Amino acid sequence: MINPVLIINQLFEMQAKVKETGAAQNFERNFNRLFNIFEEDGYIIQDPTGEAYAETRTDCEASLSGRIGSKMKITRTIKPIIYQKRDGNVQLLQKAVVIAENN
Amino acid sequence: MMKPVNFGIDLGTTNSLIAKFDGTKVHVFKNPVGQKETLASVVAYRPDRILVGDKAREYLTKDPVNVFGNFKRKMGTDEKYYVVNIDDNVTPVQLSALVLKELKNFVHTGEVPEACVITIPASFDTMQSNATLKAGEEAGFKTIFLLQEPIAASLAFFNESAEEIKKNGHWLIYDFGGGTFDAALVRSTEQELKVVDHEGNNFLGGADFDFAIIEKIIVPEIAKKTGIENFEQELRVKYGKYEKLFYEIMYYAEEAKKELSYSPSVMIEFTAELNGKKYDFSIPVTREKTDEIFLPIINETINLLKKVMENNRLTAKDINQIVLVGGSTFVPQVREQLAMQTGIQLNYSSDPTTSIAAGAAYYAANKYYESVEEEETTKAEEVAEEILSNIEFKEPELKIETSYNKSSRDKEEVLLLFCEGNYENKFFRIIRSDGGFDTGLIQLKAKKTEFLPLIPSVTNLFTLSIYDGDHHEIRSFSRQLSITQGKYTVDGQPLPHDISIEVDDVENKTTRLEVIFERNSLLPKKRTLYRSISKTIKKGSKEGVVINIMEGDKNSRPSSNLTIGCIKITGKDLSTDLVKGSDIEIQLHITDSRVLNTSVFLVMTQQEFKNVFSVSEKQISLDRLREQYNQLEGELMETVRQFQHNDNDIWEIKANALLEDLRSVHDKLFKLKDGDKSDEKYIIAQKIMSVSQEADKLGGNERISMLIEEYFETKQSVLSAINASDFEKDEMKKKFQKIEQSEESFIRSKNVSFIENKVKQLNDLHWEAYFNTTSFLISRFILWRGLPKEAFKDYNAAKSLIKMADASLEKERFTEFRQQVFSLTHLMVIADFTVNKDFKGTGIG
Repeated sequence: MINPVLIINQLFEMQAKVKETGAAQNFERNFNRLFNIFEEDGYIIQDPTGEAYAETRTDCEASLSGRIGSKMKITRTIKPIIYQKRDGNVQLLQKAVVIAENN
Repeated sequence: MMKPVNFGIDLGTTNSLIAKFDGTKVHVFKNPVGQKETLASVVAYRPDRILVGDKAREYLTKDPVNVFGNFKRKMGTDEKYYVVNIDDNVTPVQLSALVLKELKNFVHTGEVPEACVITIPASFDTMQSNATLKAGEEAGFKTIFLLQEPIAASLAFFNESAEEIKKNGHWLIYDFGGGTFDAALVRSTEQELKVVDHEGNNFLGGADFDFAIIEKIIVPEIAKKTGIENFEQELRVKYGKYEKLFYEIMYYAEEAKKELSYSPSVMIEFTAELNGKKYDFSIPVTREKTDEIFLPIINETINLLKKVMENNRLTAKDINQIVLVGGSTFVPQVREQLAMQTGIQLNYSSDPTTSIAAGAAYYAANKYYESVEEEETTKAEEVAEEILSNIEFKEPELKIETSYNKSSRDKEEVLLLFCEGNYENKFFRIIRSDGGFDTGLIQLKAKKTEFLPLIPSVTNLFTLSIYDGDHHEIRSFSRQLSITQGKYTVDGQPLPHDISIEVDDVENKTTRLEVIFERNSLLPKKRTLYRSISKTIKKGSKEGVVINIMEGDKNSRPSSNLTIGCIKITGKDLSTDLVKGSDIEIQLHITDSRVLNTSVFLVMTQQEFKNVFSVSEKQISLDRLREQYNQLEGELMETVRQFQHNDNDIWEIKANALLEDLRSVHDKLFKLKDGDKSDEKYIIAQKIMSVSQEADKLGGNERISMLIEEYFETKQSVLSAINASDFEKDEMKKKFQKIEQSEESFIRSKNVSFIENKVKQLNDLHWEAYFNTTSFLISRFILWRGLPKEAFKDYNAAKSLIKMADASLEKERFTEFRQQVFSLTHLMVIADFTVNKDFKGTGIG
């Protein structure tokens, strides 16, 4: 059986690569469409880049770059957070793999 | 009462696990936070809280004065760690106890483990063993048994191996973890396992493979491409300028290592900015290359293994098998080199990550302890009696009150904790049920606030737990908190009606509603619908698609709803032809003040059409209105006919009156021209809507009851017909189940047209079942065979088909026969019952 998490990760990586080339706008619709397919199936996909980081965030596996401080921020996301809604409950399927830095 | 211990714990240097033997098999518990079986053996004393596990590991290299790992190596020594944040010393025993307590939280079965088996390395001396026992006691275990890790691994493999194992003789246990390596020689006699000898290296593990990939493959590539001198040295500088890149490539190296387990080569691709310039890297990593760079590391482990054999004067033929334990034994080169260099058969039948914990649980199944539960109950009763006899009212020792919003539109919600009584030296902890948030242990205070992050648009459940000074949970204080994000709030504005889009039901030549935003959902709302075009539209033609957004009951027919937004795209607007089946994306956004923004994107022509509607401004398409009129007229005529048939005079009169009322707008509607600026079309639309709504009420509850009765009767006969059919049974059952699944919702809707539609679907399925039943096909065939020439469109073709079907029937080739009867139906002159032959619809499927 196809593992949706693997596909979502690949899509996320592709989207990140496209963003780096500066051609993100050309593909925005396609990515939205692809992510929408998974969202309709109950998957919640989150890119935590730019969000505050704290040790309470067990939805991320972080590498802490630079000196640690009280105002850490996620500066790079290698894999997104994936939740799945099932029977009204939400379950964490994948923790994000991120790099966090002090602001 | 003596009870089996059953719980086994692998208290590892880098990771720990807990497992239980449940009478038949071993179950390894998962961390409720993050759902992993392993818990990092790391403890972090952050400024206001204590963390154990993966989160603590993240701070290991950054905050070494407050975060501790690898303390297993220091067990049994008098070494203490000074913790800056708490200004106190902690011992390896205390740290191990915290890990053990955290593992107890993994047990989700509701029981509190009182006794356990904890594994220790074969090399542990008495002091180290006693220290482990002490840690177990501090963690609250009343009875603890110790078991050597190589024996635990052997037990797991003896118990789980499917093959018949010759149990006497020598075995080598090769335990290659993330950060440590151990080799042990185990001797088994009839009923006993014993560790004879062992060797190990506490600084050799799977992480060395990752560093080899970085050092020998990735770094040279980066240095070559960028020309940066001393890149490798710079990369390793703590807090250096390439530190972020180092963590990134460390992740890629580990992923590449994992992928190489099943694929001969991988490509590491990443973009990095180095000294102000952007570089794209595509670095190939082949199995061939890693064979070369991993070899020195693997050789070191094999040398230790051989040393154990030499010390005991054993050769390969004296060893039954090498049992593989630890995550690093997944690396294919490890297995290849081990087999090649030792010539001994390898066994990796048990999971290398969990086998030590599993082995400990197998061992625990045969160990017994005296349960203290009953003793405690007796004591509690005695205390209760004493209190009663003294008629003394005792103040509760601790009182905790919580205050928080049960619904929120923010990304996080603040929780206030108020404590009274004896809260000194007690801790609290909050975990979100999906595992995405964990506060760790935080000291209680008279008043404490904590921010709880929320997942959008769902109900977030949190568990608040209270712990005593020794970090044991006080279960009576545990409670659940529930916060709903993004839904109802007191000041929120819920939608008063369903908002739907009208789409084509091509099969039934009509349209139906598909809900976009449900009634009571909170504004603002945004959604993108992905649909396909249901008819081809030529460039320049008058044909088009109509995006009709409607407000009302989602279960009723479109004409009973009010159009609140409409975009018509005709062939004249198109840059190329729009082919049937091509995609259309409809984005809808409804603001707080109920302004509807619609944007339509035609994928094939790459054109976008935007429109903003205010709900107070009605939008109407004349074409759609005319079609709605025709459909409603047809339905009303059918209803009149049914009432006539049932001699229901009163309802017949009412239905006729409605029909007349509807027909009163006929002439005006069909004379109106596109672009008419008067209010006429709105008046007509209002009339159609009110007639449509009234039509649903015709016959009252009696009609609804009859329809429901008809539905259930039809359902029963359809099921029998499907069961009796000979072809496509599964397919039809699926269709049947689909109707059945929506049963509750449409019966509850009490909406006539909705229930009628379902009965119609059942009737269609009934016919499908008949046409998939051989006996029915034969009876039809016999009937049709005798029909006169005029009954067929092409009599010659029909004759030849009849001849072929006769032959198939004779030879009992029923599949062919069925096909031939189907073909025959297409040749028959049958009156077209379709009411609306020129159905145009919306163009959206």
